[in-house]
Amino acid sequence: MLKVISLLAAVIFWGLLSLTLPPDIFPGPLETVKALWGEIAGGRVGTDLVMTMLRVVGGLVLALLLGVPVGVLMGLNRRAEAVLDVWVMIGLTVPSLCYAIMAFMWFGLNEGAAIVAIAVTAAPSITINIWEGVKNVDTKLVAMARVFEAPRSTIVRRVLMPQIYPYVMASARFGLGIIWKITVLVELIGRPNGVGFKLFYWYQLADMRQVLAWTLLFTIIMLLIELAILKPIERRIFAWRPEVAV
Amino acid sequence: MKPAIHVASLRKTFTARDGSTRTVLKNLDLDVGAGEFLCILGPSGCGKSTLLNVLAGLDKVYDGTADVSGGRIGYLFQEPRLLPWLTAEGNLDFALSSCRVPTKRWEQLKSRYLAMTGLSDYRNYYPHQISGGMAQRLALVRALCVEPGILLMDEPFSGLDEITARRIRTDLLTIWEETRKTIVFVTHNAYEACFLADRILVMMGGAFEQEMRVPIPRPRSYDDSAVFELSRDVIRAFGDGMGRPTPAGRWPGNVAHGWSATSTATLPPA
Repeated sequence: MLKVISLLAAVIFWGLLSLTLPPDIFPGPLETVKALWGEIAGGRVGTDLVMTMLRVVGGLVLALLLGVPVGVLMGLNRRAEAVLDVWVMIGLTVPSLCYAIMAFMWFGLNEGAAIVAIAVTAAPSITINIWEGVKNVDTKLVAMARVFEAPRSTIVRRVLMPQIYPYVMASARFGLGIIWKITVLVELIGRPNGVGFKLFYWYQLADMRQVLAWTLLFTIIMLLIELAILKPIERRIFAWRPEVAV
Repeated sequence: MKPAIHVASLRKTFTARDGSTRTVLKNLDLDVGAGEFLCILGPSGCGKSTLLNVLAGLDKVYDGTADVSGGRIGYLFQEPRLLPWLTAEGNLDFALSSCRVPTKRWEQLKSRYLAMTGLSDYRNYYPHQISGGMAQRLALVRALCVEPGILLMDEPFSGLDEITARRIRTDLLTIWEETRKTIVFVTHNAYEACFLADRILVMMGGAFEQEMRVPIPRPRSYDDSAVFELSRDVIRAFGDGMGRPTPAGRWPGNVAHGWSATSTATLPPA
């Protein structure tokens, strides 16, 4: 309920704020929705949206595949931690634009390069999250499992992994947040379609209605993914956790 | 009879970061007979938990001998150490499958020990949904249902309120009298030791200082004045607070309660 009220308040605030500038420069919510509806009705949304979503999902999967194992390794092994932590910091520092330029220059202007650039940008943040998570693993539970003669594979699967899942889940969620921003940037400089491409296209035509319409579209889609897919998954997996009352 | 646990010249040394070493177990000799209830009584930091970790096989770096031959080990920690994402029953299943207990025996073992501890109705509860005392009882069920020959217990009731702890101690004695497992029970609570044990070994600074047999006949009652008197004598023997060195000559009625010096700590159990 509070969520709905805060969203409504934001829309009203947007509407009021837009009155301070001419609608060509700062369109209000109504005009933006109208522009968006025009795009949707005209069938000009599908391809770009699907391409962007594919890049987001591809980038996220690859980022998790890169980031999670490195994070686990760093959490479990002190030597790996000592060697890799500098590299994670470097990876985190390099701007995503550099990764995108490098990827397109080295691998060509193709989907593979785009996804690699997206994944490499997001992976270090995921690694840091998982690394912290693994360091927080409750070793007392591991000792318990060893007393009950649990083989190493069982300890990893049934004692360690369940403790790491929440961090993987958190990484996936904020990874998604980072990734869609990078994806738009990557599309802007190196792809012939996608939301980022469209944003840049309308920006060059100085059409603020369309720029805001596409921003709104993507924001709504991401919210839906969060509320309709990620939240329910999280609720299912972590049903055992007590509610925190503060 | 061959002892269930045989420890000889056990030494354990920890090395600090600056290279200095600290000996936490100093040449321990210990035999625990099958079916014996042994309490190791001592202040915190005396090495009791380290000794249990060696016996449990959690700590494999030591000098000397530590043979455990009395069957599988069940371990009850100071905290329940339940897996929070599994239900009560899931936690028992985890232990049963880890110990490779044949699946067809699971149900019988679970219901038996859950009933003994009054937890039959809580199979589907998650650890955070039950009280601390119930969680510790569940941990006891988990330790028992893998059918250990030996139970190692590391101050398992010290984190519970006294009334709950009393009840579980009584439960434990009932279960022990029924099953006669070998128990090594570590505690800093003299009353608990006197109530539970056949034999008490007093540990200080990594060595056994004194040994006594508890002369109180079983079944025992928690309110028995004999337990109280005995524990009072034990506490007196340690001075005002355990952990301080006991002045020479302050050991109480050694003869009356059967106190003896550690040279006899390897006596076979009665």
